[in-house]
Amino acid sequence: MLKQILNKFLILNDVQAALVIQENGEIIESMKSGILIKDELQEAIAIIMLDSRKTAAQFGNAPLSMVFVEFSESFLILGPVMEEFYLVIIAKNSANIGQITYEMKKNQDAIVSLL
Amino acid sequence: MINQLPEGKSISRMQAPPQWIFTHTVRFVGVVRVVIQDGEGFILIKKGKTLVYYFKHGRIELHGHGALDYFNSHPTIEFNLCKYTPEEFSQALKICDIEDPIPDTVPVQEPARPEPVRKESEEDSFDDIPVISRPAPLPVKPEQPVPVIETPAAPVPVTPATAIPVIPAAAVPVKPVAATPEKQAAAVPVMPSAAIPVKPVAAVPVKPSAVPQERVFVPQTAVLEDPDIKIIGQIKKLNGIVAISVFNNDRNILLMGDVEIEPLLKIARTMLATTNKITPHVDWGSFVHMTLQIPEGNVIIAPYHETHLCILTTRTINIGHIRRILRDLQQERNQGDML
Repeated sequence: MLKQILNKFLILNDVQAALVIQENGEIIESMKSGILIKDELQEAIAIIMLDSRKTAAQFGNAPLSMVFVEFSESFLILGPVMEEFYLVIIAKNSANIGQITYEMKKNQDAIVSLL
Repeated sequence: MINQLPEGKSISRMQAPPQWIFTHTVRFVGVVRVVIQDGEGFILIKKGKTLVYYFKHGRIELHGHGALDYFNSHPTIEFNLCKYTPEEFSQALKICDIEDPIPDTVPVQEPARPEPVRKESEEDSFDDIPVISRPAPLPVKPEQPVPVIETPAAPVPVTPATAIPVIPAAAVPVKPVAATPEKQAAAVPVMPSAAIPVKPVAAVPVKPSAVPQERVFVPQTAVLEDPDIKIIGQIKKLNGIVAISVFNNDRNILLMGDVEIEPLLKIARTMLATTNKITPHVDWGSFVHMTLQIPEGNVIIAPYHETHLCILTTRTINIGHIRRILRDLQQERNQGDML
C-alpha cells in the first residue's frame, strides 16, 4: 500500500525516487526509477534529517516543515511525516517542485496511517 | 552635535564592517550615521577623506580616534549613508568647527577608472553608493588632522558595552521593501534572539586620544564590489525577502534587512556544515542551495563567489523565483571560473 502512494511521486516528471525513511537512515519503503540508493546517499539523507531538525530547533524549537537541497543536476526534498519518519523525494532539477510538494502534503495523512 | 547636523539624503542603510565605509566612499560627500546599541554617532566624509568621527552613548562622548576605535571594535555596525549638498556639507563643517580640506575650486583627483554618471532620480538607491574601482586607501593617517576633542573622562563613568541593553532589531530602520504590507506582515520569521545568545560586544575602548597614532587595519579579504551589492539589493527588494546576508567562514560581510545577524549567522553556518558533510556523499554536481522551511518562513543558504548568501524569507515567498535567481548566480559564477 505504501508502495502505491510512493508510486504517485514516481509518475511525476523527472522524479527518480520516493522513500519513507527513518531518522536513523533505515529505509522503510522506497520506489526508484533509474537511481540506486547507495549507502552513501542513505548516509547523506540521515545527516540532512538529523542536522535539519537540530537547526530548526534553533528557531525557538520550531517544527521542521521541509528541507530542500539542490545540486546542479538533482535535488532532494525531505519532509517529516510523523515522529522520526520522513518522506524523501529525489528528482532531476528539471522536475516540478511545486507539483512534488503539493503531492507530499496531499499524501501525508495516507502515509501516516500506514506507518 | 549629531542632532545639529543637516539631515542629508539617505541613500542606503546597511550593516557592514566599519572598513566597508572607508573603502566605499571615494566619491561620497556626506555623513555616515552610525548606530551601535543605544548610542549613535557619525563620520563626516568628503570624497574618501574622513573628517570627523563622533560617537555618543548617554553621557559618554567619543571624538576622533576614540570614536574610530570604538567603531572598529565591532565586527559590523549599522549605518546610514546620507549624501550632502555643498550647502549642507558647508553647514556640517561649521557645526563641527573645521575647515574644508578639499575646497570645491580645487580639481579633485578622480579614480583611474571613470564611473558612469548616474541619474539622481534612479529608483535603485544603491546606484548612489559611491563606487571604487580598486581598494581605496584606508584612513591610516588623514592629511588633515582629525579634530580630536578631549572630553574630561574622569567624572564620566565608563560603562562596559556588555552592560548596554541590546537594541531590538525592530528599532533599526530598514530600507523599505517593495513587498505589499499585507504579505510582509503575513509570516515574518522572528529570530529568537533570546534562545540564541548574541555575541557580547567588546568593552568601549576609551583611551586618551590627544596623541595621533599610526593605525593599522586588518586588510579586508572579502570586500564586495558594487555589482555584488546591487545584486544583493535587488534580491532584498523581492517580495517576501526579510533579510539577506553575505557571509564567509569568519564573519558577516554584508547584511540587508531587519534581523539580528549573529543568530542568523549561527543557523546559516550550521546549514553550511550540513551541506559540507553531505556533498562528498552525493554525485549530483555542484551545490546550488539548501532551504530549510519552518512554519514562520524559510532560511536559504547558497554559495556566492568565494562567500555564501543567507536569505531569510516569509512563508509566502515564491521559492521557484528564488531558486531561479540562485541558479542564475551559480551559472554566472561557473562561467566566470571558465574565463
